[in-house]
Amino acid sequence: MTAGLAHAGGGWLPRPLRVLFADEVKRLGFLMSLPAQLLLLFIVVFPLLMQIYVSLTYWGPLDGESWIYAYKSLNPFENYGELFADGRFWASIARTMLIVVVSVPIEFLLGLGLATLFVDRFPGRRIFYSILLTPMMIVPAVAGYMFFMLFQSNGPINDLLGRLTGLQVDFVWLSDPDLAIVAVMIADIWQWTPLMFLILLAGMMGVPEDQLKAATLLGANSWQRFWRIVLPKMKMVMIIAAVIRVVECFKIFDLLAVMTKGGPGVETETLSYYIYKLTFADLEWAYVAALGLFVLIALSLLAWAALLRLQIAQRRAETQPGA
Amino acid sequence: MAAIRLSHLTKKFGAFTAVDALDLLIPDKEFVALLGPSGCGKTTTMNMIAGIEQATEGQILFDDRDVRRLPPNQRDVGFVFQNYAIFTHMTVYDNLAFGLSVRKLARAEIDRRVREMAALMRLEDRLEWPSSKLSVNELQKVAIGRSAITEPAIFLLDEPLSNLDAAFRAFMRTELKHLQHQFQQTMVYVTHDQIEAMSLADRIAVMNLGELQQYGTPAEVYNRPRNTFVANFMGSPSMNLLPCRLIAEAGALCFGFGEAGRLDAGGDGAMQHRARAAAGAEVIFGVRPEDLEIAPPDGPGGLKGVVSFVEPVGPRTIVHLKLAEQTVKVAKEKRYKVSIGAAVRVTAPMAKCHLFDAASGEAIGLG
Repeated sequence: MTAGLAHAGGGWLPRPLRVLFADEVKRLGFLMSLPAQLLLLFIVVFPLLMQIYVSLTYWGPLDGESWIYAYKSLNPFENYGELFADGRFWASIARTMLIVVVSVPIEFLLGLGLATLFVDRFPGRRIFYSILLTPMMIVPAVAGYMFFMLFQSNGPINDLLGRLTGLQVDFVWLSDPDLAIVAVMIADIWQWTPLMFLILLAGMMGVPEDQLKAATLLGANSWQRFWRIVLPKMKMVMIIAAVIRVVECFKIFDLLAVMTKGGPGVETETLSYYIYKLTFADLEWAYVAALGLFVLIALSLLAWAALLRLQIAQRRAETQPGA
Repeated sequence: MAAIRLSHLTKKFGAFTAVDALDLLIPDKEFVALLGPSGCGKTTTMNMIAGIEQATEGQILFDDRDVRRLPPNQRDVGFVFQNYAIFTHMTVYDNLAFGLSVRKLARAEIDRRVREMAALMRLEDRLEWPSSKLSVNELQKVAIGRSAITEPAIFLLDEPLSNLDAAFRAFMRTELKHLQHQFQQTMVYVTHDQIEAMSLADRIAVMNLGELQQYGTPAEVYNRPRNTFVANFMGSPSMNLLPCRLIAEAGALCFGFGEAGRLDAGGDGAMQHRARAAAGAEVIFGVRPEDLEIAPPDGPGGLKGVVSFVEPVGPRTIVHLKLAEQTVKVAKEKRYKVSIGAAVRVTAPMAKCHLFDAASGEAIGLG
């Protein structure tokens, strides 16, 4: 029945599509998802093509011409060449990486530690739990403003450090080339440890209690239970938590925009912030297009490589005896 | 090797008393079953022995050592959970090795003992398997092997057979008995299955509503139940418990069952003495289905009844009889034939009958 219908209905289609249409259900599915597919075409494919096009030119908003005429300044791959020589670009990537490799592990360890404390019931647990989660709920720009105030040279943090040490403390946190990035990291850790804590706590609560009891009765102390039962069982949740934070942290922008504006100089300029400056201060739109594409491709390759490794590991696990 | 002495052991959860002043002595190397319906406090008792639950009151002694303050990982007890609690992220090998490796034994020693245990449990070809891929029967074997490998002095099993299929359950029952013999451990076994308890245990502690009902060998508990709860709980089908009146007749007592007739308590037998001891009280007459006899309706003595239905249960046939006011079950051999509606007479040998006080449920005249 379907073969006959497909022949009558899809005879005019090219062969690959005819195969797709051989099944009535598939055809119906295709038709019903067509509007969404078209929408996707406009919101993903079209801008991407436009970006590729613009990235191959010197077109900018000051040209006074629509982007359609960008071909007039066509310069195959010169923007890309420039990019490799752009020290400020590479420095911004290095700085972003630095924030990621310092902040995320600290957030992870703090979150894990807190989760370990909160997995057991204790009086006041719910209240402390709510308090701990508050930073995460605050709009990042507002959090940035809070830390902007806290880190003023005559602000509360210097005051507190002074009282604790008994010394005259006058760090100019946000204008010091070395301290500014530390201040940003502290703000990021303060704001995002709660998210780590939340995810890791959920994972820890999911560790079956009877297996923990069994481990205890087999003689394991709490340290051994943690390393041999809790951590291995949380592996997947830990990977998820870390990936979410790495991706988010890589895009860090709002805290910087309020706290340092990338300064002093370019000392806290991250990738996002550099792109922002290029776009709105320097109006280098064609260059930004090239830069954006480059980062997209680089990150895609990295993600692909990571996925491939994960798949290989999984396949190895599945080919174990008993599969 | 250890004897376990529980004295006045009590566990309360808020206002609810799960275990009430339990006194129990479990001798070294014995296999003791804690038997009772769900909610009777048997698992709570076991958890207190293991240290997973803290006792509200009372003492737990291993030999003469008070272990109430000892954390569970230092009590040296093996514990097999009802759902096995196998470490699903590990291989069978690592599960078996767990207890030894947390004790930091040498790798070669661990390897030797794991392989020994695997051979004993017939798990050799499963050692490298991830434990998440095992069947229920294999999980059971891993759970027992994992606890037994550390050679604990005390071995606790919480309904270990209840999730198994019937054939493997029967197999595991014999296997457990062998293992206990081999390991020479004190074993405490929680179950609600009286057949398991009867076939495995050296002694049975029957519990109900947090209280110990009777503690004795399977034969004692079966043949001389202390009260109607034990009488009813042990044996399948359960004992017939029939309220009756004591009637004095020519200097001797007999049991009256209304229109159905009377049962003679026997001129000078033990039952006559018990009946005399009970004189004046409301009593319950107890007799196991397999001890009752069915006779033609026109003989002397016995109770008159009508067959209400016949239930073939494999090796036996259970005949349900309707007396005047009560029903009784009689267990007969597999081939027994009787038609529904037939009028019969049922007799009971007094030596195998029981007498309970109707108010307290306690057995009367049980020495």
